[in-house]
Parts: sequence; C-alpha cells; structure tokens
Amino acid sequence: MNQGPLDRSRFEAIESYVLGSMGPDERARFEEELTVDASLRAEVDLQRENIRAVELGGLTRMLKTISEEQGTGEEGWRANAWKQRMKYAAVIALVLSVSLWLLRPPANERLFAQHFVADPGLPVAMSATDDHTFQDAMVAFKLGDHAEARSKWLPLLQADPNNDTLRYYIANASLALHEPAPAIPFLESLARDPSSAFMKKAQWYLFLAYVDAGDVAKARAVPLDDDATYGERVRAIKGQLD
Amino acid sequence: MRALYSTHLPAVKRYVLQNGGTGNDAQDMFQEAMTVLWMSVKEGRLVPDTDPGGFLYRVAKNKWLDVVRSAAHRHMKVVHDDRALDHGTDVVDDIEERIVRLRDVYDKLDDKCRKVLDQFYFERKDLATIAEGMGVEEESIRTIKYRCMMKLRAFRKAISGEDRNEA
Repeated sequence: MNQGPLDRSRFEAIESYVLGSMGPDERARFEEELTVDASLRAEVDLQRENIRAVELGGLTRMLKTISEEQGTGEEGWRANAWKQRMKYAAVIALVLSVSLWLLRPPANERLFAQHFVADPGLPVAMSATDDHTFQDAMVAFKLGDHAEARSKWLPLLQADPNNDTLRYYIANASLALHEPAPAIPFLESLARDPSSAFMKKAQWYLFLAYVDAGDVAKARAVPLDDDATYGERVRAIKGQLD
Repeated sequence: MRALYSTHLPAVKRYVLQNGGTGNDAQDMFQEAMTVLWMSVKEGRLVPDTDPGGFLYRVAKNKWLDVVRSAAHRHMKVVHDDRALDHGTDVVDDIEERIVRLRDVYDKLDDKCRKVLDQFYFERKDLATIAEGMGVEEESIRTIKYRCMMKLRAFRKAISGEDRNEA
C-alpha cells in the first residue's frame, strides 16, 4: 500500500470502481491499470475493506432498530408501568396520526408502495463458476439487499448487454430501492420484446415504475387493463391516479 | 431484513429460552447470526442453496452454547446440544473474526463521520440527498466523506505499520 496521501480524485475513482458505479470505458481503463500497479490494487483492497466496515456499522444499527421495533418479548411489563404508558398512548397515537397524515407521501408513491412487491427471484443452485457472481447477487436480492445485488449484476450486464434476465432483475432491484429512473429503460425494452420470458412481468413493473415516477400519462398508456393476471390491479390503480 | 427477523427469530428464541437464556439474550444471538449471514453473502461465501433460516438458527445456537459454556454460565444444563453434528463451520469462524476486525475499524469513526458514511455506503443515498437531509451543501458532504475515509485509511496504515514492527 502507498504510505503517502491519496488525493480526492484518485480516492473517488477507486470508490466508484468498488461500488460498481464506474462507466464501462473507465472501468476497462482502470482494470488495465490494476493489472500493472500493485499499489493501486492494495488501495482498492483497502477501500473495499473500509467500505465493508462502514456497511457493517450500518447493518448493526439497522438490526438494533428492528429489534427495538419488535420488542424483546420479555415478561417485563409491570402492571403499573403498563397503566402509566396507556395514559399517554391515546395522545401519542393522535399526534402520530396527524403527523403521518401531514407527512404522507404523494398519492403516486403511496400507490407504488401499496402494490409493489419485488420479484421472488430465481432458484439459486450449484452451477458453473461463470454463474457464481450472478448467484451471489441473487442470494443478496432474495435477502432484500437490492443495492448489493444490483452492484454485482451491473458489471455482468456490461459483458452481456442483451441478457434479458440481468436487465429484468437489475430493473427490479432499482424499483425495490425506489429508483424508477434507472429501471424504466430496461423495462421499456423488455415490455415490448415478445421473445423475452419476462415481457408480461416487465409490463407490470414498467407500469409501477411510471406510477412511482409520477408519469401518469405513460402509466395510463400501459396496455394491461384486460390482462388476466394484472388487469384488476392496473384498473384499480389507474382509477386512483391524479 | 425485517421479514427474516420476524420469520426466524422465534425458533432461536425458543432454543435460548429452553437453555437458560432470556428474550434479550435471544435477540443478541439472533442479531449476531444475522450479521454473519449478511457478511457471508457480501463476501460470496454462502454455499449456494443454503437455507437462511437454518443458517441463522445454527449460528445463533452455537453462539448461545459458547455463552452457556463461559464461566458465568457453567452451572447451566444444556437441554439440546447437537453442536458436534452441526458446527463444522470454519467459514463462519473466519467470518466472525472478520466482523470483529471490521467493527474495530468502524469504532474509530466519530458520530459525524458515521452519519455521513452510513448514508452513503450502507443506505446508498446520493450526496445531494444526504446534503439536503443534513441541511448543508453537497460539496461539504463530499469533503466530509473523503476526510472520514482518509481517517480510516490512516488507521489501517498505522495498524499495518504495527504489524510490520511486530514481525
């Protein structure tokens, strides 16, 4: 590892590479540099490690929050304490209700949140080494770690840009992250590709992506109203769009 | 994450309660197991076809057995101990050691750094969103992020220097 300072542009280039957000040309150049520069390889490893430490810290915090939300299930509630808490519960509930009403998200985002369920994913099986990264990402996807899944799939898509499975699941991960913009181009091409096994599902998720993005005109134009699987839900959502 | 938690915690809790623990103990063991599962996925070390529920139960159970066997709990009798059948997980041991090392790194950060870095690297928010949430300019967040990561880098550099001196 280089013991000297690391300037910001170099740091951000390494960060972009580690996070999988580097463009294909830049990535190719960077990887070429990696093959000949041991010091750069060490910096990449170090930064990957530090980012992992931060992610771990975030996970620990999230687990603590979930634990607090769910309670411990201990028999610790004393009757008096319970009565004491109950005195304030109605007031708190009222304040929360009013706050939630005032702070509620726009109608289109609420409709999206109400109807979006991420694709259950593909079965993960033992397979050839070529598929290992894909399968890792699929496990992450199934565990709800959509950002991780997407960051692992994106480099695979660069190598195989016409792979409809990758495009479909990357789009699905983006929607799960509430990021309709990067999902829409993938879903638009899949939704009009009759040779793709994902065509019908892509039309449904494209519809939801337009809803989430607030593009009511495009959402209304998605022709799923009479679809046996999605028609009822599509009609109900369209009826509630502004 | 929440779904995994609510689906698989009850089995762990049942085991810990049967073996002298409390609900809080069960939560602690389960959170550690969730961390091991998450890290295994991140590092690509989870065997394909692994059942997450079985994995969580096995790791949490073994962790509780470690606690039970510690000095403070020697008087307890373990009701179900088929550890010999299901331990065998060098990978899990490696992952646990790695978690300890990474937590040590994270502990070096102050609250401000944690707040910015968590949002950027864990929640994957963009700089503009973080800046808006904290009421500062995007460029400030970019600078804070860089400086905080450089603190971690310096810490690691110091550690590697100590390792060399010891060697």
